[in-house]
Amino acid sequence: MLDTKKLGSVMVVGGGITGIQTALDLADSGYYVYLVERSGAIGGAMAQLDKTFPTNDCSM
Amino acid sequence: MSYEPKIIAFCCNWCSYAAADLAGTARMQYPPNVRIIRVMCSGMVHPEFVLNAFSQGADGVLVLG
Amino acid sequence: MTLSEVTGIAGEAGNFQVTVKEHPRYVDMDKCIACGECTTKCPKKVPSEYDAATGKRKAIYVKYAQAVPLKYQIDPVNCIRLNKPGACGFCEKVCPADAVNFDDTEKMHQLNVGAVVLAPGFETFDPAKNWTWGYGRYPNVVTAMQFERYLSASGPTEGHLNRPSDGKEVTKVAFLQCVGSRDEHKCGNGYCSSVCCMYAIKEAVMAKDHVAGLQTSIFMMDMRTHGKEFDRYYVNAERDAGVRFVRCRVHGVEPEGDSGDLRLHYINEEGRQVEEYFDMVVLSVGLQIPDYVKELGAIAGIRLTHDGFASTSDFSPVSTSKPGIFTCGVFSGPKDIPQSVMEGSAAAAAVADSLAPARGELTAEKTFPKQREVGGEAPNTGVFVCHCGSNIAGVVDVEAVAAYAETLPGVGHVERNLFSCSQDTQEQMTQIIKEKKLNRVVVAACTPRTHEPLFRETLKSAGLNEYLVEMANIRNQNSWVHSNDPTTATAKAKDLVRMAVAKVNQQESLEPISVPITQKALVVGGGIAGMSAALNMAEQGFAVNLVEKTDKLGGNALLLGHSWSGESIQDRTRKLIDTVHKNENIVVHHGFEVTDAKGFVGNFTSTIATKDGLEKTIEHGVGVIATGGGALRPSEYGYGSIPNVVTALEFDRLFELKEHRAANAKSVVFIQCVGSREGNRLYCSKVCCTHSVQSAISLKQEDPTRMVYILYRDMRTYGQREELYKKARALGVIFINYELHGKPSVSVENKRLSVEVWDHILHRPLAIKADMVVLATAIVPNPDGEKLNKLYKISLDGDGFFQEAHAKLRPVDCATDGMFLAGLAHYPKPVEESVNQALAASARAATLLSKTSVSLDAVKAQPILENCDGCALCIDVCPYHAIDLAEHPVGEDGMVHKYITVNKAQCKGCGLCQGTCPKRGVAVQGYTMEQIASQVEAALAV
Repeated sequence: MLDTKKLGSVMVVGGGITGIQTALDLADSGYYVYLVERSGAIGGAMAQLDKTFPTNDCSM
Repeated sequence: MSYEPKIIAFCCNWCSYAAADLAGTARMQYPPNVRIIRVMCSGMVHPEFVLNAFSQGADGVLVLG
Repeated sequence: MTLSEVTGIAGEAGNFQVTVKEHPRYVDMDKCIACGECTTKCPKKVPSEYDAATGKRKAIYVKYAQAVPLKYQIDPVNCIRLNKPGACGFCEKVCPADAVNFDDTEKMHQLNVGAVVLAPGFETFDPAKNWTWGYGRYPNVVTAMQFERYLSASGPTEGHLNRPSDGKEVTKVAFLQCVGSRDEHKCGNGYCSSVCCMYAIKEAVMAKDHVAGLQTSIFMMDMRTHGKEFDRYYVNAERDAGVRFVRCRVHGVEPEGDSGDLRLHYINEEGRQVEEYFDMVVLSVGLQIPDYVKELGAIAGIRLTHDGFASTSDFSPVSTSKPGIFTCGVFSGPKDIPQSVMEGSAAAAAVADSLAPARGELTAEKTFPKQREVGGEAPNTGVFVCHCGSNIAGVVDVEAVAAYAETLPGVGHVERNLFSCSQDTQEQMTQIIKEKKLNRVVVAACTPRTHEPLFRETLKSAGLNEYLVEMANIRNQNSWVHSNDPTTATAKAKDLVRMAVAKVNQQESLEPISVPITQKALVVGGGIAGMSAALNMAEQGFAVNLVEKTDKLGGNALLLGHSWSGESIQDRTRKLIDTVHKNENIVVHHGFEVTDAKGFVGNFTSTIATKDGLEKTIEHGVGVIATGGGALRPSEYGYGSIPNVVTALEFDRLFELKEHRAANAKSVVFIQCVGSREGNRLYCSKVCCTHSVQSAISLKQEDPTRMVYILYRDMRTYGQREELYKKARALGVIFINYELHGKPSVSVENKRLSVEVWDHILHRPLAIKADMVVLATAIVPNPDGEKLNKLYKISLDGDGFFQEAHAKLRPVDCATDGMFLAGLAHYPKPVEESVNQALAASARAATLLSKTSVSLDAVKAQPILENCDGCALCIDVCPYHAIDLAEHPVGEDGMVHKYITVNKAQCKGCGLCQGTCPKRGVAVQGYTMEQIASQVEAALAV
């Protein structure tokens, strides 16, 4: 029978900037996180950008 | 040989050091005569350092913050 | 888990069983050392997804140079061997780590989790679907993502802007906006993608740095630069950078013979048909939800909008239609990076709320080996010289630098790494530090500002004190800025390594300071943002003090009717107020304001007081500033002197109460941007376009014979709000564009209002007779900002809103640790963005509140008692009030000796004390007088 107790683990689907932020915040506040990414590496679209407004930091 | 001055720059970690990094990110080109020393704040730079640098042969000292 | 996708979700909130299919990588992650031999030998070249098909990759490849994990993978569709057994297989033969495994198979995983967050992202619209743009037919028509890759130093042209057809340097570029957005005919995407205006401006400005004299033109319908600081960037792009903006939607791109040039036909601002040639055309492609994400939505069983976005409520913007499944990022609507990051944190908050009882049950603290004591040892320094791919090694002779490093005093080991920051190199470094018994480390690579924390971790893993590392910045401050002069760059790299070695040899172990955390929060401001943040923290189990200046909660929400998606703000706010009052973890302090604040992260003490002087003190570990904003009281268009000229909020009230002026009005004119986007207030108030459109729709629906006009500069009904704009037009609302130099004017003629404006389509002035004029006034910051800025040392931007720590990556954190921002106090925003930011603030706060102590950086001022004579010069200069004077009667002479003490929790290590002290009585650890002197000496030694 399924235990009705809540589990302290979370699955985050998508390893772009958004998913990474969610995963980090959850991990930092005491949850076990599975980060599932469809491609071979995390980073998503932001890793493709050369520079970002307004600081023009390289987005790495 | 042409004159190549030696310049010591004390750069604040939070502004001018970051700016120097950014100059790199933007691939700006500047003369290679400056040696940057990272400090946590330009206020940390004791007058003694400036004098020291000159006495050891620096041609210029920049304190950037 | 990479190369993995969710194929099934069963169970319910609190206990889901998720099936994850992990596709074979054909490379063993544990064995791969990312040396790249395989890629060099692989004979198969295919377009690179990362470079948006502007460049090539091999069939065995790594997604991009800084990929995490930095492990190669084989693309089974293009690999010769996987498609034809027995063929090729070169990569397997050359791999020194024996990591290639052609027999790798798909794996299925069953995972039990308490909640699921869907952040699957977007794809950019594929303009090849429609022939009019010529994409895919004319090589010099590229998408904005491809243009981004052309501009990138890591892109196919290494940042040189040469056009694809003939490699000619580009001199004239056109950007076409709304390709794949705001267009149901050509792409079916009626919504606005929200981000393309801003990225087009950025690319147009950036491109000018790549080619001197480059002409850039942006063809658009409306510039939607509604984000924080975006309008200022827009204005500067036009005024300073010389980007040309043309208000016209261009419907097609034609080739000019075989020259590679492209011809655009458009109608200019004078109404003439014009033909203009460009040598490159960039399509500002929109964002859309890919089919596999829609399938994921179906697997999760959540409701989607007709455009495929996850459907959410404005008051719970990260909750999907199914409990326990949350969403964030572009999946819940088009949005930019800061909004996505904010929403990422917001989703974390929503999860934490739903799983609060289970927090900490499944996590384990990362443990590090015991630190080796190195105090008595002579320096045995390891120098690691990073190639950073070709970023450093392409300019600097890294072998020469490494050879030179071996000759430096104290250096016991030197080696070179392709990417020092990659995970496998980290592991190697850990091993070497242990094996060679290194007790100091120099990493000659990029900047310590981004990578020092990483190498500190490496030292910790190797059992070495984390402060025994120094970085020599041979990339950002050397190879990148002297790329034309490899010889001098190599010499400078040697100098920088010598300076770093000299400094690190004098470095001592430092212990980070641990400060206890008061697990309580203070929220300043009881509007939607403040309440949402307070409630989420309370639901997570933390005690919250909510301070509200007025005698009731609700803030601006009490004045608003409906959110853009039509939800009643009144009803939801009332419910929210009720829930806040009922929550046992929240104490609401009505009528109080913060009057004093002391302390630092984890340990704040704030004093709050009423007008009558009643005071309370609150101890708290974190603070959320949600002090909101207000509506500008306008001083133009006759407001205050002409009775029927009213503000938007006043009109809402009149309309709702069916007051005769609003009820009987036959002609209503809305004027947008009243007080926004001009003069000192060079920002967009973000909500007013949508607000006016909603009011216009209500007016038309009530009485279709009414004439309703909206005079606007750019209609900024961004994202899915575009639907309202379309609806208003369909209902017959008349939209008239005006420019800043030709603002409308309002006068009274024969007791009726007359609004004069220049019509850019008819090219003549119009005089509109109106019964009412509604002014869409700016949102202005709360004047209390100044006070809070002083109390908590949280800075304000030039417009008077609070400044976040990083515009993209830390949009809710303040520069002061432990303080967070939410709502209008940060920037004008609509309800769901305020709630998002509030939840995000709560999630960020919870990363502190969930711990009992926090470690602070160990770079702190340390008194040197034998030198300090208590002159107290440093006490006056310390900006953090961290230094005190102590008295200490000393033995034989019977004299009272004075000396300073430093409160390390308050000290930030700025070293003003060190720079001031005439007697070397205080030093900042890691930046001592001796260390800096040794760097100066080393710098000038050759």
